[in-house]
Amino acid sequence: MTSTVPTNDLTEAMRLAILRSDPKLSRFDPLPRIISHDSFSTGHCGWSQLVGNYENDLDTMLPGYAQHTSAMLSTLPHWDSGSHGGMGSSYALKIATRPRKGAQNVAIKRHTFRHRGRIRFEIYFTFKPEATELKLSETDVRSVGFLFDLQSGDQDADGQRVMPHLRFLNALDGEHLQKWQFKRRTTELKPIGNSDKTLSHYHLSPEDWEDLPGGAQRLCYNEIPTKINWTYLAFDFDLEEMKALSFRCNDRTFDMSGFESIRIPAMKNLWCMLNFCLFAETDTDKRAFLYVDSVCISGDF
Amino acid sequence: MLPENITLVVGRNERWTGAAATEPFEAGWAREAIIFIRALKEPKGEQPVARVEISPDGMRWAAEGTEAPMPSRKDGIAVLRVKHFGNWLRVAADYPSGSESTVLVTVHLKA
Repeated sequence: MTSTVPTNDLTEAMRLAILRSDPKLSRFDPLPRIISHDSFSTGHCGWSQLVGNYENDLDTMLPGYAQHTSAMLSTLPHWDSGSHGGMGSSYALKIATRPRKGAQNVAIKRHTFRHRGRIRFEIYFTFKPEATELKLSETDVRSVGFLFDLQSGDQDADGQRVMPHLRFLNALDGEHLQKWQFKRRTTELKPIGNSDKTLSHYHLSPEDWEDLPGGAQRLCYNEIPTKINWTYLAFDFDLEEMKALSFRCNDRTFDMSGFESIRIPAMKNLWCMLNFCLFAETDTDKRAFLYVDSVCISGDF
Repeated sequence: MLPENITLVVGRNERWTGAAATEPFEAGWAREAIIFIRALKEPKGEQPVARVEISPDGMRWAAEGTEAPMPSRKDGIAVLRVKHFGNWLRVAADYPSGSESTVLVTVHLKA
């Protein structure tokens, strides 16, 4: 499918002029079609809890999913300094883990795609541990990250489910590592229940993360656990080739030639799936918080 | 624009024993909250009274005053309504030794 809108220098200049005159969009670099623009003063914008699969009994849910809870709308309130607020409003999306070392939580936005081409995922985010101690606590958050959950169209030969994952590994077992990692392997698909209709795999298990080549980065953390700074991130992915194209975080652009996605055979019911997930992990028995000020998902169509 | 409302699942298939509580949640944008606690399995032993708690910081908790008996049978539902809570909310219950309940806790918030 080709773009339905003719583009030339003038239309692109007009698009950029309109985009940059809008204070809420101007901070993003969206591709020509904005699929969604989420500002959390307008609600949860479809970022819901990633619930695990089950059949007949919730006990069949894999433990990795059972720990998840709903994302919140937060003003980033702190005991010592009050509400921090977002970049353009009082609110941000907050994804909070439980207070148990290794605990994770995931928020998900579920779409399908109508065009196979480049998409761009841009967010402004920050992370902190719960401020239960009067210490810097810079190694208490293990990681924050995002993933896409994609599947090819129903008429495609050799259909695949493709899941690019990227996390910022802040710390592991107390060691401050500060690097981006990806994942190409997942856990085994397990049948859920006994009807042969439902499978599940915990793709955010702690194993099999690999360092993104050249992916070390020191982000702004600030000096006490209640001061935050917003960080920009942009990830481009090609839905035609099912391949990562580029990744930027603040002033750094990373080489994605060594990046690979989790790839598994297509599942029975997930055609053209276009899901986006945001997640947090804690490295101590303390809650980890991922805050997202805003999200812009766009496509080249 | 329609006023925001949202359903949050803050505890799903959680076995409550001893000093039990949901994870804290922020609801400062909401003017009202209704919390439902459903017993997913047959509760065991004496069931306590559940209470709403509020907090200045999400870490230190005080009883808000709203209470409801925990369900005494499977699929029973406890309901807690609150309208004046600031930002932080959670639900807590203290189980006597030997008693328990496996619960689904949902929070319905409305601006």
